[in-house]
Amino acid sequence: MPASKRRVPVSQPGMADPHQLFDDTSSAQSRGYGAQRVPGGLGYPAASASPQGAFLADPVSNMAMAYGSSLAAQGKELVDKNIDRFIPVTKLKYYFAVDTMYVGKKLGLLVFPYLHQDWEVQYQQDTPVAPRFDVNAPDLYIPAMAFITYVLVAGLALGTQDRFSPDLLGLQASSALAWLTVEVLAILLSLYLITVNTDLSTIDLVAFLGYKYVGMIGGVLMGLLFGKIGYYLVLGWCCVSIFVFMIRTLRLKILAEAAAEGIPVRGARNQLRMYLTMAVAAAQPLLMYWLTFHLVR
Amino acid sequence: MAFTLYSLLQAALLCVNAIAVLHEERFLKNIGWGTDQGIGGFGEEPGIKSQLMNLIRSVRTVMRVPLIIVNSIAIVLLLLIG
Repeated sequence: MPASKRRVPVSQPGMADPHQLFDDTSSAQSRGYGAQRVPGGLGYPAASASPQGAFLADPVSNMAMAYGSSLAAQGKELVDKNIDRFIPVTKLKYYFAVDTMYVGKKLGLLVFPYLHQDWEVQYQQDTPVAPRFDVNAPDLYIPAMAFITYVLVAGLALGTQDRFSPDLLGLQASSALAWLTVEVLAILLSLYLITVNTDLSTIDLVAFLGYKYVGMIGGVLMGLLFGKIGYYLVLGWCCVSIFVFMIRTLRLKILAEAAAEGIPVRGARNQLRMYLTMAVAAAQPLLMYWLTFHLVR
Repeated sequence: MAFTLYSLLQAALLCVNAIAVLHEERFLKNIGWGTDQGIGGFGEEPGIKSQLMNLIRSVRTVMRVPLIIVNSIAIVLLLLIG
């Protein structure tokens, strides 16, 4: 067995033992490859080192590699430049600027919004403060995580009833996403028809509508542990909490400033806005029930 | 419950097609939703009906050409895949 199979750094890199089947290039060729191979451990055969070494020594393939890497860099630049046109990456980053304290407080707020006094989002020179600093700010971390957890919990629930199959997971996810899309479109349409001048952006709306998944997860988990009674109790509690949460949050965004402070403003316009807020808030418990009742038997 | 994203897409395509085939003269004018009957004064409140009429008119104008493309693709795909 040739001694070159062990990756021993040779003192004279250029020397080749005539009995060697492969060149030992661990110290000779590019330092970068050496650094990569060292953590790989001695398990890797040195055979893999040598073809690369011979490959890189060839000037044509050197050029090809340089060209390829420059092409990749150009492609990456192009993608980075244009991605902002389709997906507002910088805006999205704001919604994921969360930390553990915020998540904890927000989850507490979602299941018990009754004691919270101040629902205003703090502003900092015209831009809303990041969620990390203000518990009232919407974020996309909780809805995203809650959605994924909901799909997994749905799979778990189906599995305990022997009804599981992998495509059902996709079906659950697709169904929940479809309902979310319908909700967002319906609310955007209503906002347009009632000509509400609001700073409620689409992503904000998605964030608010995604908060109901938290209650759904709680309900299904309780249903798994304690049967239908537990499911109905927890779901009922979460439904009422989400209803109150949505009303208190959307009131500030959709209704006129005067009404938001608690003074009832009469007028057809505000009445329509009030109806819209109530409708959005009322749709949450309905959807929470609709998306979970078939999971708990 | 087979409410998937795909069925949502189908429903959306059918709805947009339905809005696009509303006939201007024979139908919309007769129920008072024609494009030239909408513009009230320049008051503050456009009102739901004029917003709706604006929406229908914009959807028809904007989606005319993309609908042709999307419908052709849908026809071809449905013929091939069913």
